[in-house]
Amino acid sequence: MNGGHPEAAATFLRDAPRAAWHDDSLWFMRERRDRATALPEWESLRTAGAALKAHAMSRLGELLEQFERQATANGVTVHWARDAAEHNSVVLGILQGAGATRVAKSKSMLTEECGLNPFLEASGIEVVDTDLGERIVQLAHEPPSHIVIPAIHWKKEEIGELFHRTMGTAKGESSPDALAAAARHHLRDALLHANAAITGANAIVAETGGVVVCTNEGNADLGMHSAPVHIACVGIEKVIATRDDLGVLLRILARSATGQPVTAYTTHVTSPRPGAAMHVVLVDNGRTARLADAEMRSALHCIRCGACLNTCPVYRRSGGYSYGHVIQGPIGAILAPAVDLSAHRSLPFASTLCGSCGDVCPVRIDIPAQLLAWRSRSAAAGTLPSGYATIFALLGRVLSSQGNFARTGRWGRRALRWIPAAWLSGRWNPWTRSGRELPLAPTESFRESMRREGRLP
Amino acid sequence: MTARDAILGAIRAAAVPPASAAPALTAPAATAGSPDMHEEFLRVLGTVGGRGVVRRADQSLDQALAALLGDDRDGAVIVRGRFAVAENAAVYVDAADLEARTQVVLPEHLVLVVPFDAMVPTMHEAVRLMPATSACGWFLSGPSKTADIEQALVVGAQGSRTLRVIFDVA
Repeated sequence: MNGGHPEAAATFLRDAPRAAWHDDSLWFMRERRDRATALPEWESLRTAGAALKAHAMSRLGELLEQFERQATANGVTVHWARDAAEHNSVVLGILQGAGATRVAKSKSMLTEECGLNPFLEASGIEVVDTDLGERIVQLAHEPPSHIVIPAIHWKKEEIGELFHRTMGTAKGESSPDALAAAARHHLRDALLHANAAITGANAIVAETGGVVVCTNEGNADLGMHSAPVHIACVGIEKVIATRDDLGVLLRILARSATGQPVTAYTTHVTSPRPGAAMHVVLVDNGRTARLADAEMRSALHCIRCGACLNTCPVYRRSGGYSYGHVIQGPIGAILAPAVDLSAHRSLPFASTLCGSCGDVCPVRIDIPAQLLAWRSRSAAAGTLPSGYATIFALLGRVLSSQGNFARTGRWGRRALRWIPAAWLSGRWNPWTRSGRELPLAPTESFRESMRREGRLP
Repeated sequence: MTARDAILGAIRAAAVPPASAAPALTAPAATAGSPDMHEEFLRVLGTVGGRGVVRRADQSLDQALAALLGDDRDGAVIVRGRFAVAENAAVYVDAADLEARTQVVLPEHLVLVVPFDAMVPTMHEAVRLMPATSACGWFLSGPSKTADIEQALVVGAQGSRTLRVIFDVA
């Protein structure tokens, strides 16, 4: 993906009714979130969420070691992995050691980040994603387009067609009830016959050595309590200090994600059941580099609720795939440049800086400030999207001097009134290309009209 | 160097300045200790697709179960809930009280029997009641559900299709 958010967004927007439908679907989630967060203490909960994460990051090494001690004492095997390749080979090693060939996996953005599925499949291991949305995109050989609602871009008729081809549901069946019932049958079978379960973690608690997994479907529980081996794949930034911190986290997570007071299943597992094995893989993959970057550090606080995606006017109107990164939306736009600034150069600009992402973030990550900071770094590194450097240099000269600003305005208004409208709204102009019209330019500026009316001293 | 040493070394090298612990939060006085906590719990339980009752003094637990379950008695599994959380209709279930951990998710119909007095207003109090030596515990709030197909809520995804709560008066 080479700097292509605007191009990918333009492709997405070509189907206008579908784009409007996508926009509405996400706004529905945003409104659910608004109702669920209408608590008198919501703003202090956000402050507590930010504080518990900042605290955990300031003691990260200590907390990870405490977690490791606790978990080991509880009979869990803890592994460490520097990067995606190491993570994948650790997981494969555990599976091969256990003779496991069929894996039931519940939602984990970390394993998406590491490309675990294709890696395991290449080694002859069958992986079934057991979250319904993830199963839909897996059957379609697509990545998730939203971190919480992976198949948000799929219409029920299309899911019906996909299930007809892959699960043998009736042709033309598109009722969500019937499709979910078919998926229940299909996924329960995979879950109960897997010989290993892989889950992510919404948090790991240093105090208890516990792994916390939240789902609504119950798929993570069916997998981890049935299979002889459970592997939890966890980014190191997921560690929190205490059970008290967990109380805060659980109050903000589901309210922000889906507008529920809490998920249907919130599992705190500290030990394998008798006769079974439990492993936790702690993964860095760039997180310690982010930790060392004071300006961008707080992006590690992200609890992957997706609230910033649902509220973002750009995400809603451009779709998850336009970001070209495993994490989409505003949070993706500040995480991706840390992975490769040049490749993701367009993402810090995939925002109007309206600030809504920062306002809804339950752990108060200042996403707009980081978007802006990435733009500055992009300019300094010479990786601005093509044309931006010239435009910004010009804009800088115009906007930094009142005289230049007034002169440019005068010339511009005159030019806009003289140049033929047909040429102004030609194919070259991205503003009019998407169906908008240029208004007739006024003859005078706001300042000039105020002065003429004698209302400017 | 092992991965563990490399990661812990990189964390030390990042030299993050100290940050104080999160402020202790308690529920606002309006909900804490309110006599309406059961009412609130049952209201929220309804919104998350579950059903609940308080056993009446003139009923045995069996009678209350029969009334609540109706035709779903076959395929129903009854487990003990340690305590309930008013704000989100969650019931804490501990693996120590189960024959198998899958009991919280495998049955078609799940019934949680919770002592009437074991109720806290929010998750702040709830996490403190989790047993210190728990091998596995759950906060269960309503039945299994999904909204992954066009955000249409479907109850009964991979887990239990129904979830009922009985508050049992000692």
